[in-house]
Amino acid sequence: MTFANGDSTTHFPAGSDRASPARFDVRAFARSAQGNHRETLRLDEFATDPLSGESLRAVRYLARLESGTMEQLRNLLVTATHKDARITAFLVTWAFEKFWIADALDAVLEANGQRKSHEAAEGSTRRSRIESVERRGPIRRAITGLIQGVPIIGVHVTSGLVDEWITRAAYDRLETASANPALSSAISTILGVKARHVAFFDHEARERLADDPRAASLTRRSLERQVWPIGAIDRADDDRSFFESFVFGSDEGRARAADIGRRVAELTGMDSRIGDAVARKLHA
Amino acid sequence: MAFDVDKYTATSVSVNWDDLDLERFHEHPLPEGSLRTLRYMADVEYHTVCYTRDLLTTPSHKEADMSAFMTMWNREEFWHGEALATVLGIHGIVVDFDEIKADRLKLGWKDKLDPIKQSIAGKLVGTDFVAVHMAWGAANEWSAITAYNRMAELEEDPVLAELLKRIARQEARHVAFYTSQARDRLAKSRKAQVLARFALKNFWAPVGSSIMERTEVVHVMGHLMGGPEGRKGARKIDAAIAGLPGMEGLTIVEDSLNKLGVAA
Ligand SMILES: [Fe+2]
Ligand SMILES: [Fe+2]
Repeated sequence: MTFANGDSTTHFPAGSDRASPARFDVRAFARSAQGNHRETLRLDEFATDPLSGESLRAVRYLARLESGTMEQLRNLLVTATHKDARITAFLVTWAFEKFWIADALDAVLEANGQRKSHEAAEGSTRRSRIESVERRGPIRRAITGLIQGVPIIGVHVTSGLVDEWITRAAYDRLETASANPALSSAISTILGVKARHVAFFDHEARERLADDPRAASLTRRSLERQVWPIGAIDRADDDRSFFESFVFGSDEGRARAADIGRRVAELTGMDSRIGDAVARKLHA
Repeated sequence: MAFDVDKYTATSVSVNWDDLDLERFHEHPLPEGSLRTLRYMADVEYHTVCYTRDLLTTPSHKEADMSAFMTMWNREEFWHGEALATVLGIHGIVVDFDEIKADRLKLGWKDKLDPIKQSIAGKLVGTDFVAVHMAWGAANEWSAITAYNRMAELEEDPVLAELLKRIARQEARHVAFYTSQARDRLAKSRKAQVLARFALKNFWAPVGSSIMERTEVVHVMGHLMGGPEGRKGARKIDAAIAGLPGMEGLTIVEDSLNKLGVAA
């Protein structure tokens, strides 16, 4: 996997990330990280063509999800995932890029007369007994992480991949629903940034699921009970319900969810039971 | 003085060395002892992101400013690793992520248990523990800035000195964040002061101690904080730590040098 990057490559240690030609180049990714997007956003256009309340709500929810990287990092790093220097190196730049994706979404909110996502009031979280396991704190995560060891990395990258599929569906839905050229342009910028995150998770997930049956079985268990998208567990119940019906509620939405379920089922070690479980939860 | 996180995130960049003639190391290689120190520092910088797990296992992650700072801070530290790895690379020392991974996997239970220990402590004392983390982070960032400046001073090489000074300038912003956080939070809570004092006094060790072999820690500390000048730098770090509310009289850096047998 290579990405356009015109600037000098001489200042990198020889053979830095060279295991296989198809392997995602983490150093090239870090070198060409994409930061602040405010210069290229067409924010002025919202003054004459503002977003609907529904679209703004979706933008705000997505901004909150995109900026939840430190909580997510915390959950990953208390396990063996922190041992993998390639993964942690990726996550550093991934968090940086997502910070600026959230900032771009905040800029859209502000241009529409709204507060930034983390400044706006948020309702209370969903109280569900089934979800309590996902609400487990770092201590319990660290203890199970100790038992699970290295195969947990396979769970984390596969969840990362499925999460990317889900948020992609959300951006697509938002793009169609809003029919707003300035927002479409912002979404296309965001998806461009996220394409590399997808590529990394995709490659890592496929490799780890194929190489390690323990990773595959842990992933089955985890995907089945996980709350989607990643980070939703910390978000307001009413926003989650809105998201579930906005993105996956209509007939078209159900087809979107079913499509994600199929892609999950096709991953090594997964099957339609796991795929259906993921799809079902999307429109809870 | 309050730390402006928005300004920090807006101006945070990866350390730049495009304009520096690192190729000169082919003709003027650094001495082996210096390369050994640089290797240690590179590993520590790459490892920084792993410590966010400790900082985040407290209520602090609920705060947007904290998250924003951590995001940029992680990235700056990663690039410090990349900068040092580039210098090492020119000397034929390849710093490979897969190799770092192998090293990390060799780490024992101590490292594995850290997040649990920290989480439990975080649960017990809630927001007061954030103050401890911030004071701890300040001590580490002060150490980093002192180490880089000291090495820049020790090396005759002008190009390396410039690179290290650029890194040290970023460390100075990290110091500013951690100290402003630590100062505010410690000032507000007597309990936090007692806790921070206890943690620093009993558990603090030079950055990297938990992930590197003791022989390497001794080498690096001897190199950068040995002798009268090195000791002077160590005392300056101690004085800065002692300036935080409730930390009066702490000499954790000097104590750890004595424990490692680093001569003054
Ligand atoms: Fe650093
Ligand atoms: Fe630093």
